[in-house]
Amino acid sequence: MTEPTHQDSKKSLMEEIGITEKEIDKRRAFLELGDEDTRELVSIDPIAQAYADPVIEAFYKHLLAFEETRVFFQSPELLDRVKRAQKIYFSRLTQGNYDKAYIEDRLKIGAVHERIGLPVKAYLGMYNFYLRTVADHLFDAYKSEPGKALRTFISLLKVAFLDIGLAIDTYINRREQLIGKQQVAMRELPTPVLQVRERLLILPVVGALESYRAHQLTEQLLESISATRAKIAIVDITGVPLVDSKVANHLLQTVSAARLMGATVILTGLSPQIAQALVAIGVDLGHVRTTVDLQSGLETAERLLGYRLVPVAEKTRSDQTDV
Amino acid sequence: MKTPILKQGPYLIASLQAEQSDTDLLELQEVLVEQVGRFRSRGVILDVTLLDVMDSFATRTLRNMAQAIRLRGAETIIVGIRPEIAFAMVQLGLDVRLSGVQTTLDLEEALAILDRQRQEGMCRD
Repeated sequence: MTEPTHQDSKKSLMEEIGITEKEIDKRRAFLELGDEDTRELVSIDPIAQAYADPVIEAFYKHLLAFEETRVFFQSPELLDRVKRAQKIYFSRLTQGNYDKAYIEDRLKIGAVHERIGLPVKAYLGMYNFYLRTVADHLFDAYKSEPGKALRTFISLLKVAFLDIGLAIDTYINRREQLIGKQQVAMRELPTPVLQVRERLLILPVVGALESYRAHQLTEQLLESISATRAKIAIVDITGVPLVDSKVANHLLQTVSAARLMGATVILTGLSPQIAQALVAIGVDLGHVRTTVDLQSGLETAERLLGYRLVPVAEKTRSDQTDV
Repeated sequence: MKTPILKQGPYLIASLQAEQSDTDLLELQEVLVEQVGRFRSRGVILDVTLLDVMDSFATRTLRNMAQAIRLRGAETIIVGIRPEIAFAMVQLGLDVRLSGVQTTLDLEEALAILDRQRQEGMCRD
C-alpha cells in the first residue's frame, strides 16, 4: 500500500485526474464564478475569520451527533488536528485567488477524505451544514443590507460547488484507479498448463475469457503441446462463467489448431446453461470431444492414451490369488 | 529446390524445405505418387517442421497429395505443424482442407501410427 501513495505524491493530483488549467477555466465559467465573486468573498473575509471558530465548533458538534460521521473522529487529538485543518480550509474560501494551487489543495483534501473512507453523502451533508451555518452568520452581520448578504452568499455557493465538484472527482478517480488495477489483475490471472501424465495436459480456465486472455490461452496451449509432445490436452472451462459466440469460436479454433499439430483437445466442464446457450446461438461443437466434467475428461483421455486405472486393493488381491 | 525423399522400410519420408516454391511442391507430388508404387510403400510422412508459411495453395496441394497417395495404397501423415502456423491456418480457414489427413506432432508418433495401421491391416488380411 505504501508504494502507490508514494508514487501519487510525486505526480500532482491535477495531472493524475486530468484537470488542466483550461479545464479549471471551463469549470469556473460554467459556475459563472468571476472576479466580481472574488471581490465579494474577499470583502467578507474579516467577518469570516471572526466567525470561524463558532462555525467550526457548530460544524463538529453536528458531525459528532451522528454515529456514521462520529467514527472518523475517535481521538481528541485527531479531532483537534482536523478542526485546525478545517479552519484553514474554510478561511481559504474567502481569500480569493482560486487558481491552480487552490485546485490542487482542494483535490488533496478530497483525496484524504476518500482515503479514510468518508462516504460522499456525509461529505455533501457537511457542505450543506456549513453553508447553512454561514448563511445565518452572514445575514446576521449584514442585517441592514440583505442584498449584500445574498450576493456574497451566492458567490460563496459558487466556490463551494467548485470544491464539491473537485472532491467528487477525487472519489471517482480513486474508484477508477481501483477498477483499472483489478482489470489488470484479472488479465494477469494465469492460465497454467499442467502436465498430469506423460503426453497429457490439463488447462484449467478460471474467470471470464475476454479476447486477450483467450488468445493467451491458445498460444500457451499450442506451445505446451509442442514442448511436451502432448497427445491429449484437456481444457476445463468449469470456472468460466460465460461462453459467448466469440469465445466459443476461439475455442473451436484452438481445438482445430491443436488437431493440426496432432493433438486431441477434450473440452470439459460445460455447464447445462453453457451447453444450452451454445446450441441456442448455433455454435457447432460436433467435431470437438466434450465431456461433462474433468473426471470423465480424464477417463476419456486415459482411454485414448491406453491407460487403465486399477485400485491398489483390487490389484493386491488379484496378486494374492495368483500366488 | 528439390525436396529430399528418404526411404525408411515400408515408408517414405519427405522433408519440405523452408524455401519451397509452388512448382517444387507440385513436383514433389508427382515424384511421391510415383515412388509409392515403385517401392510398394505403405505410408508417406510429410515433414513440414521447416515451413514458415502454409498458404492455401500448399494446403490444397498437400491434401491432393494425400488423396492421390491413398489411391495408390498408402497412408499419408503430415508431421510438425508449428503452433503459430496451426493457429494461422485455422484463422484462415485452411484447416478444413486438411480434415481428411492425419497430423501428428513428430516423426516418432507418425511412424507409430503407421506401424499400428499396418499391423491392423495385416490382421484383417
